[in-house]
Amino acid sequence: MSSAGPPALDNEGTRSLGRAARSAVRGEHTTAPILAVENLVTTFRTGGGWHAAVRDVSFVVQHNETLAIVGESGCGKSVTALSIMGLVPPGNGRVAGGQIHFGGRDLVALDEEEMRKIRGDRISMIFQEPMTSLNPVLTIGFQVAEALSYHRDMGRREAAATALELLEQVKIPSARQRFDDYPHQFSGGMRQRVMIAMALACRPELLLADEPTTALDVTIQAEVLALLAELKAAYGMAMIFITHNLGVVASIADRVAAMYAGEIVEIAPVNELFARPTHPYTELLLRSIPRVDRDTAGLSVIAGQVPAIGAMPTGCRFAQRCPLRQPICTERDPILVPLPDAPDHHVRCWVRAAPGEGRRA
Amino acid sequence: MSDVSVVSGGPRASSYALQQLARAFNANATSWIGLVTFLLVVALALLAPLISPYDPLDQDILARLQGPSAAHWFGTDSYGRDILSRLLWGARLSLVISTVSILAAVVIGGIIGILAGYIGGRFDMVVMQAMDVLLSFPSLIMGLMVVAMLGASMGNLMIAIALTAIAPFARIARAPTILVKERDYIEACRALGYSDLRIMAIHILPNIVAEILVMASLWLATAIRIEASLSFIGLGVRPPTATWGGMIREGFENILDSASLSVFPSLAILLVVFSLNMLGDGLRDAIDPKLRGGE
Repeated sequence: MSSAGPPALDNEGTRSLGRAARSAVRGEHTTAPILAVENLVTTFRTGGGWHAAVRDVSFVVQHNETLAIVGESGCGKSVTALSIMGLVPPGNGRVAGGQIHFGGRDLVALDEEEMRKIRGDRISMIFQEPMTSLNPVLTIGFQVAEALSYHRDMGRREAAATALELLEQVKIPSARQRFDDYPHQFSGGMRQRVMIAMALACRPELLLADEPTTALDVTIQAEVLALLAELKAAYGMAMIFITHNLGVVASIADRVAAMYAGEIVEIAPVNELFARPTHPYTELLLRSIPRVDRDTAGLSVIAGQVPAIGAMPTGCRFAQRCPLRQPICTERDPILVPLPDAPDHHVRCWVRAAPGEGRRA
Repeated sequence: MSDVSVVSGGPRASSYALQQLARAFNANATSWIGLVTFLLVVALALLAPLISPYDPLDQDILARLQGPSAAHWFGTDSYGRDILSRLLWGARLSLVISTVSILAAVVIGGIIGILAGYIGGRFDMVVMQAMDVLLSFPSLIMGLMVVAMLGASMGNLMIAIALTAIAPFARIARAPTILVKERDYIEACRALGYSDLRIMAIHILPNIVAEILVMASLWLATAIRIEASLSFIGLGVRPPTATWGGMIREGFENILDSASLSVFPSLAILLVVFSLNMLGDGLRDAIDPKLRGGE
């Protein structure tokens, strides 16, 4: 495996694009971010002990921004989202540390009653499985209208009228005729549109999309992504888009956070990340995308697997699978530091982004 | 189903659960026989004031303990009262007592079961163990206890029957609740900020109501049997009011003189219990595999 960084000369254009994106992001820094997660730790009880499924996760989401969180299954993407929603299953899981600042308040400190007012109203979430995320015994019209009448002081008729508008906005064909249909009369793509309508009913400021297109056909995926992008622009909301599909990331995200074993290993504007993935994990992840424009014999794979939650190694959690492993990697925990020449590109790696060295390895 | 809109034809039932029940019904002939028989009995009971040939309380001492005849189709009892008329009027009482008591048990037991299944944990354990204690009393013992404490009356009879039926309904409501609350759409409800009460009442209840209705039809039969048993041992509605259990008891005392006195009310109970069981069994067979797997 070839060592070291991406080609430095031939990506000048992409890099300047990255810079443009960066300055755009900086321009928005004048207003406070809509969401700021700081040192989030979420633990789960497995085999008698509490283990961190999400460790020391920090990021911000600006107004109108889409942050993609990528990573393989079990890396803590969904747990991060559930922590923001306050939906970590009580009893088996808990937010053990950190703060989640939203709308001037720390969501971690809010009680269930206050959190309930925020959920579905100011922060919404859509899920991976459209086939099972709608109640089979209630009509879709009822389910969309319910979200409205619950959070807004709306009468039945007004809620139904608004729900119909929403269903038309998410492009359900013949929405009026299908208003009283049950979920099983809809296809997966249509059900996901209904879910989106429910999530957006109260015009939330932040939408968490947990792999919303993973269960759909590729063509339907593209339609749903386009719809989400359109609605996001129309509603002026921020979005956290969780996925393991890097192709989707490229098309929808402004910034990307790559997670591995419960930690953010790299976070950067989307163009920057695709142009020079710096953490070895991100680099390998990008290399494992099938591409039609490159003539290669096969896909590269990342050998090994994510360490079990109860058996996290000391030092870098990726060290065991890392081609660049150095002795320090298995001794001390790396920290997330900005690259010297790109202050909004943070990497957690001793080899590629050693703190204080002032140069890239 | 395709993405292209398909406007489904025909009128829609207002509730999906009822659609399920209707589908199960059509798939099963015995449930139709059961339903028709039961509805016939209900109709006869409702029409009792119009169709019964005599007043159920009118005594005719000269015509006591007669067998079936043209004047008295089912014969007369020891006071010379017309058995057919008393059967028809007794049906009203038996049906009211069993329906009201089972309705109470469905509501109370259903609420307990949904709460226990939804909340889970220690609450579930304590509540369901209390239900097990309730379940361990045979219905007759429960009836004896209630009547001994509160006295024999129609109301107390209903309390006794409801008490025996609450625990089974709590169980039948709890099991599907535990299944349903793990479904994705309940998680989606939480993500929309819905309260637990709303999730239970609007999102879980309609999913389990079909199973509860099936159970209710079976327990209606049991309630009629319990009512008859308690009346038979003298803990039911007081004479001279006609109830089926009370009539069997009177007939039992004169069984050597006139068998028809106890035979006809027994047959009436048999008919109703049998029809309700056919109805409930047919529904359960048809509905189980479909509902359990979800849609």
